[in-house]
Amino acid sequence: MNVFITGAAGGLGRAMAIECARRGCSLFLTDINADGLIQIKRGLERQFDINVTARPCDLTDSSSVDRLLAVTDQFGIRFDMLLNIAGIDVEGGFLTLEREQAAAIVTLNDAATLRMTHAILHRRRPGRHFSLIFVSSLASMFPMPLKATYAASKRFLLDFATALQRELKDQRVHVLTLCPGGMVTNDDVVEAIAAQGVWGRLTANPLETVARKTIDRALSQSGCYVPGISNRLLAAIGHMVPRSWIAALIYRRWHGAQQKWMTVKPGKSTVSDRTPAFCRVEH
Amino acid sequence: MTGATSGIGLETVRLLASRGYRVLGIGHRPDAILRAENDIQSSVPQASVRYFCADLLQQREILHLAGELTSDVETNSHGRLHALINNAGCARSRYMTTEDGIEHQFALNYLSGCLLTRELLPLLLKARGRVIMSCSQSHKGAKVHWNDLMLRRRYNPLTAYKQSKLCDILFAKALNDRYRSFGLTAYAVDPGLVNTDIGSKAGGIVKAVWRLRRRHGVHPRVPAKTYVFLCQEIPRPCGLYYHACRAQVPSREVTGEQAGRLLQLSERLCGISFEVPA
Ligand SMILES: NC(=O)c1ccc[n+]([C@@H]2O[C@H](COP(=O)([O-])OP(=O)(O)OC[C@H]3O[C@@H](n4cnc5c(N)ncnc54)[C@H](OP(=O)(O)O)[C@@H]3O)[C@@H](O)[C@H]2O)c1
Repeated sequence: MNVFITGAAGGLGRAMAIECARRGCSLFLTDINADGLIQIKRGLERQFDINVTARPCDLTDSSSVDRLLAVTDQFGIRFDMLLNIAGIDVEGGFLTLEREQAAAIVTLNDAATLRMTHAILHRRRPGRHFSLIFVSSLASMFPMPLKATYAASKRFLLDFATALQRELKDQRVHVLTLCPGGMVTNDDVVEAIAAQGVWGRLTANPLETVARKTIDRALSQSGCYVPGISNRLLAAIGHMVPRSWIAALIYRRWHGAQQKWMTVKPGKSTVSDRTPAFCRVEH
Repeated sequence: MTGATSGIGLETVRLLASRGYRVLGIGHRPDAILRAENDIQSSVPQASVRYFCADLLQQREILHLAGELTSDVETNSHGRLHALINNAGCARSRYMTTEDGIEHQFALNYLSGCLLTRELLPLLLKARGRVIMSCSQSHKGAKVHWNDLMLRRRYNPLTAYKQSKLCDILFAKALNDRYRSFGLTAYAVDPGLVNTDIGSKAGGIVKAVWRLRRRHGVHPRVPAKTYVFLCQEIPRPCGLYYHACRAQVPSREVTGEQAGRLLQLSERLCGISFEVPA
C-alpha cells in the first residue's frame, strides 16, 4: 500500500508515518523541514523493512508542489492513502497577529490541503479503495475567540470533507476527518496543556493511540473521528448550545490560559515556529 | 559525563573535578550549562571542566558532539578518553518520538549512550577506558519488549523507563563481552532513590508521583561517590552492576544472549557497528 503524508517531520506526522511503516506500507513523505524529513526517513528505514521516499516541499507554493509531483510522476507512483497533516496555528487574538500571519494559517491549513488532495486523488491507484484523511481539530466544533482563524480553518476542512465524501462515495474513496484535542508531541505541548489546567488534561489525546485508530478507521470507513470520551462529549455539547454562548464561554476560558502560556513562552507566536503549540498543532 | 548540568551528573562532575580530573560535561540547554559552569567553578576553583551542548535525543546531534569531543580529546589528552559516563536521562508521562522516530525514554536513557559510546570507542580503547551507564534498580522486574520496543501498542511511561534502564545494563554487559579482552570495561550504576528534578520535568501523572517519592531520596552527592569509585579504582572493579560502591546482582534478564540481541538491534537503529579491533 502506498501512502502519501504531508507534515511528516512533525509530531503527529511522524507518529502516523511510524504507524503506517509498522503496517508495512510504502511511504512518500513531505515536509517543509528538510532536515527533519531526512531524519525520519532514515529512522523508519532502519526500524522497518519498507520503502520511504522523502522530498521537502512548501505546500503553499504551487511551483514547489509541481516539483514534488514531478517526482511521483517520474516513478509513476499511484497512491492508496493520503494523510493531510501539515498545518499551523499562530498564538494570539486576531488583531495581535500580523496581517500575513493570519492569512498564512488559511493558506496552509486550507488552500495547500486542497491543492494536495486534488493532486493525490488524481494519482490514486485505479480500481482500489482510497483513504483520504484530513486532520481537523476539536477546535472545528466551536467558534473560538482568540483562536478564531485557526478554528475556522479547521471547520472548513470538516465541512469540505463531509461534502467531498458524498461526492466521491461511488468512487471507492473513504474520507475520514480526525478532530483531536491537544496531543503531546513535544515538551512545549506538555507545558501548554498544563497551562490549560484540568480541561487541558481531559481533552489531551495519546498520540500513539490516535495514530493507530485513525489508520484503522480510515481503511474501512468515512466520517469524523473525535478521539476520547470527554472530547466526544464536548463536541456533542457544541451541537446543542447556541454558538454565541459557546463563544462567550470559550473566550473566558482561553483568555486566562493564553495569558499564562504567553508569559511562559513569549516567543511562541510566530508563523515560522515549527511547534506553534498552544493547542493541538500538527506539522 | 552526559546529563552533567543537574542532579547526579552535576555532583559527579564536581567530585571528579575536585580530585583533579579534567572533565568534559554535556548539557543540552545553554542557560543550564552556564549555571553548572559557575556552580562548579565557585565550589572547586581549580576545576578543569569544559561543557559541550547537544540534544542527545537527536542522533545527528550525538554524531556532531562526538566529533567535537574527539578533537578535544585528541588535542588535550593524546586521544585517550579514560571514562565515559552515559548518565543523561528523562522520565516522560506520554509517548513522544524523536526526529528519528524513536520513543523518548528509549532514545535518551539508552540509545544515546550506545551511539555516543560507539563514536568514542577508539578513544576509549586507546586509554583502556571505562564506560558507565546510569541504570536503576527499577530494571528488576522489567523485560525487553522485543516485538514492540517503543511500546506503541500500549504505552506505559513507567514500563518504558524500566525497560530503558534494563537496556543500559544489557549494553554494559554486551560491551564487556566484546571488549573486555581489549582492556575496556563497562559498568551499570544503580544510584538508589535520589532527590533530583528528573520526574518533575515529565509533567502529568509522573510529576505528581515523583513529587511525593523524591522526598525520600538521598542527596545526589551520595551516588556520585559510586561513579567516581568506578572511574578511578585500581585494580579496576570486575563486577557489572554497582550500588553504593558495591557489586550487586542484576535482574535475571541480564544474559549474554539478550545483550547480544540488543547490541545487534541498536546497531541497526543507529546505523553503526561495534567492530572488534584488528
Ligand atoms: N533520581 C533518581 O532517583 C534516579 C534513580 C535511578 C536512576 N537515575 C538515573 O540517573 C540519571 C540522572 O538522573 P538525575 O536524577 O540526576 O536527573 P536530572 O537531574 O534530571 O538529570 C538528567 C540530566 O539529563 C539531561 N538531559 C535531559 N534531556 C536531555 C537531552 N535531550 N539531551 C541531553 N541531556 C539531557 C538533563 O539536563 P537538563 O537538566 O538541562 O534537562 C540533566 O542534566 C538518569 O539516567 C536517571 O534515569 C536516577
